[in-house]
Amino acid sequence: AGSLLLLLVSNLLLYLFDRAVVLSHYIHNLSSEMFSEFDKRYTHGRGFITKAINSCHTSSLATPEDKEQAQQINQKDFLSLIVSILRSWNEPLYHLVTEVRGMQEAPEAILSKAVEIEEQTKRLLEGMELIVSQVHPETKENEIYPVWSGLPSLQMADEESRLSAYYNLLHCLRRDSHKIDNYLKLLKCRIIHNNNC
Amino acid sequence: MDLWQLLLTLALAGSSDAFSGSEDSSKEPKFTKCRSPERETFSCHWTDEVHHGTKNLGPIQLFYTRRNTQEWTQEWKECPDYVSAGENSCYFNSSFTSIWIPYCIKLTSNGGTVDEKCFSVDEIVQPDPPIALNWTLLNVSLTGIHADIQVRWEAPRNADIQKGWMVLEYELQYKEVNETKWKMMDPILSTSVPVYSLKVDKEYEVRVRSKQRNSGNYGEFSEVLYVTLPQMNQFTCEEDFYFPWLLIIIFGIFGLTVMLFVFLFSKQQRIKMLILPPVPVPKIKGIDPDLLKEGKLEEVNTILAIHDSYKPEFHSDDSWVEFIELDIDEPDEKTEGSDTDRLLSSDHEKSHSNLGVKDGDSGRTSCCEPDILETDFNANDIHEGTSEVAQPQRLKGEADLLCLDQKNQNNSPYHDVCPATQQPSVIQAEKNKPQPLPTEGAESTHQAAHIQLSNPSSLANIDFYAQVSDITPAGSVVLSPGQKNKAGMSQCDMHPEMVSLCQENFLMDNAYFCEADAKKCIPVAPHIKVESHIQPSFNQEDIYITTESLTTAAGRPGTAEHVPGSEMPVPDYTSIHIVQSPQGLILNATALPLPDKEFLSSCGYVSTDQLNKIMP
Repeated sequence: AGSLLLLLVSNLLLYLFDRAVVLSHYIHNLSSEMFSEFDKRYTHGRGFITKAINSCHTSSLATPEDKEQAQQINQKDFLSLIVSILRSWNEPLYHLVTEVRGMQEAPEAILSKAVEIEEQTKRLLEGMELIVSQVHPETKENEIYPVWSGLPSLQMADEESRLSAYYNLLHCLRRDSHKIDNYLKLLKCRIIHNNNC
Repeated sequence: MDLWQLLLTLALAGSSDAFSGSEDSSKEPKFTKCRSPERETFSCHWTDEVHHGTKNLGPIQLFYTRRNTQEWTQEWKECPDYVSAGENSCYFNSSFTSIWIPYCIKLTSNGGTVDEKCFSVDEIVQPDPPIALNWTLLNVSLTGIHADIQVRWEAPRNADIQKGWMVLEYELQYKEVNETKWKMMDPILSTSVPVYSLKVDKEYEVRVRSKQRNSGNYGEFSEVLYVTLPQMNQFTCEEDFYFPWLLIIIFGIFGLTVMLFVFLFSKQQRIKMLILPPVPVPKIKGIDPDLLKEGKLEEVNTILAIHDSYKPEFHSDDSWVEFIELDIDEPDEKTEGSDTDRLLSSDHEKSHSNLGVKDGDSGRTSCCEPDILETDFNANDIHEGTSEVAQPQRLKGEADLLCLDQKNQNNSPYHDVCPATQQPSVIQAEKNKPQPLPTEGAESTHQAAHIQLSNPSSLANIDFYAQVSDITPAGSVVLSPGQKNKAGMSQCDMHPEMVSLCQENFLMDNAYFCEADAKKCIPVAPHIKVESHIQPSFNQEDIYITTESLTTAAGRPGTAEHVPGSEMPVPDYTSIHIVQSPQGLILNATALPLPDKEFLSSCGYVSTDQLNKIMP
């Protein structure tokens, strides 16, 4: 019975991780496309990347920046890190959708992607919380996550500053979604396939 | 010699000038490519600078900077390794490589920035080519001309697939050896793929390249894999198993044909019957087909009348009968249920409906057709428990509602009853008048209905069968007055009740009445606020009022005008001219001389607007 339960649980985990990876991959694709479209339409060739002095609001989190660091971080912290990142993006995504929708000529392609990303991120967060409850049931609910305070910059009157704020936000979104995707793939191979994907 | 030397130096100077000039102006070191093969290290390359001429640009240096966690430090560091990646390159090992942190590099020469570039490592990921390509034969087609193979390979060694650090997708290309254009397959995530429909006699080349799944570019192609498919003996296949299908088919057809002919020309009746049974002729029970052939329709009709389902087409004899169908535009106004309920029970209706009738509710039975079966109608909403039996009788020509006469005679109770209350009366009638069909789509319908004589005055002057002259879209029926002064009809002298009657007439809804009649009725009961009654009442339940009734109702008041209803030769049937639902119908007033010219020439009924005009 114990082995059966283990089998069941491992199957459930496999399913959850599979689903999580699919979602994170999808979200990252959407973010990349959204960023490309925004850049192409509004900011291309204007050197915004060098001007982007603002960093992402999730930079305060100690996220692994390369493979070695990713291998060193332990599983539990890794999972809670991912959850924190996801939680911290709830509010920015909500405001992104609201602000883009309120634009005078709301770019439909960008708006639809933003809406989809917001929706899927919520789902991914739910899935992650499920995984955490399965793998580390004793984890205390840690609601601490970086807070985003970029709303005023999105609403600035100066177009240059406003575009810069959007650029930064979308750039950060693309980067963080890629991080989450990468981390989940690492964790999946580590937890499910024992580093032998 | 001097001339030659001069020319040589000039030439050299010129060439050197040209070189140095081009170098100075256009040949500057530029970044050619930055690449990371496995997302753990990366290297950047720049153009080879040629130093010629007077200008010495000095050593090229590369500086890089990367954004720290919080701020964008402009602290430029020099390249850690100029060697490992070859000439004119800078190699960053894993300790210098961060994935999600953007880098900026710049190339300097003599302190001056020559080129600058910013990127993040994911953007420059270009995996190494896949290795260990091989192929296996899957199957060969039956014809031996085509074959399918499965190509397999492995991911490049330095890409960490096992830990999930990299996820690669691959693209396979193949072509015949002597072709120039490569055929491409869609990107795949796995490391093996089938290739279909390769020609056996040709030799193929296959190559694969990889790319990181979400970002970066395709890496270099792998080594070419040569595929030579084993030639098969094409002849052996065909001779192996050859079933003589053609012969079997031919012999089979031949044999069947022989059998068929044998049976056809055989004298044996039994076998003939078995093979080709005779087709049964149509037969109806009790009817001699010869009758039908001879065209004795009457006899056939009588025979068939026994059967319930048969409805004889008695109208075929009556050329003067016209079928008019009512097309009700507003189905919501025509409350079918109430109509049906009131007029007939549904099964009786159906039993009486002619075959040619579109409207299931209408019965086309002539009033006085002796062949028509009697029908019993049971109105669902019979008030006060009165039940009617409509006796179909034939109406003749300009026939009045004689049937009513008979009916009234049969139903004596109705003579004496002069109820003050109005009840919906339904009349079964048939439109016999050969008038041209009404224009503009207005139609009248034949209504088989109960006759419920509730209005004593109407009883007095209206036969039991009254003719429906109009149908309102809302469903009420306007009866034409028919014969006036029917003999034998007891007149309910309703004088004292006329007033109230009139009042009640107007109280009911959908009252259709002649303008003249209306005018009559109004002065009758001056104290009655007819106007107020009429208007709201138009939307309520149906009431059937004949012009006749109104006429008689109005006959009592002491108006100077002679009762138009009683003396005016109102035709029994008027065709509908215009249907203005729900306000009213305008009838063709072919024979309705109105005493009052201010009204519309067409009588029959008024619209509410006209009524308002009439009212004081």
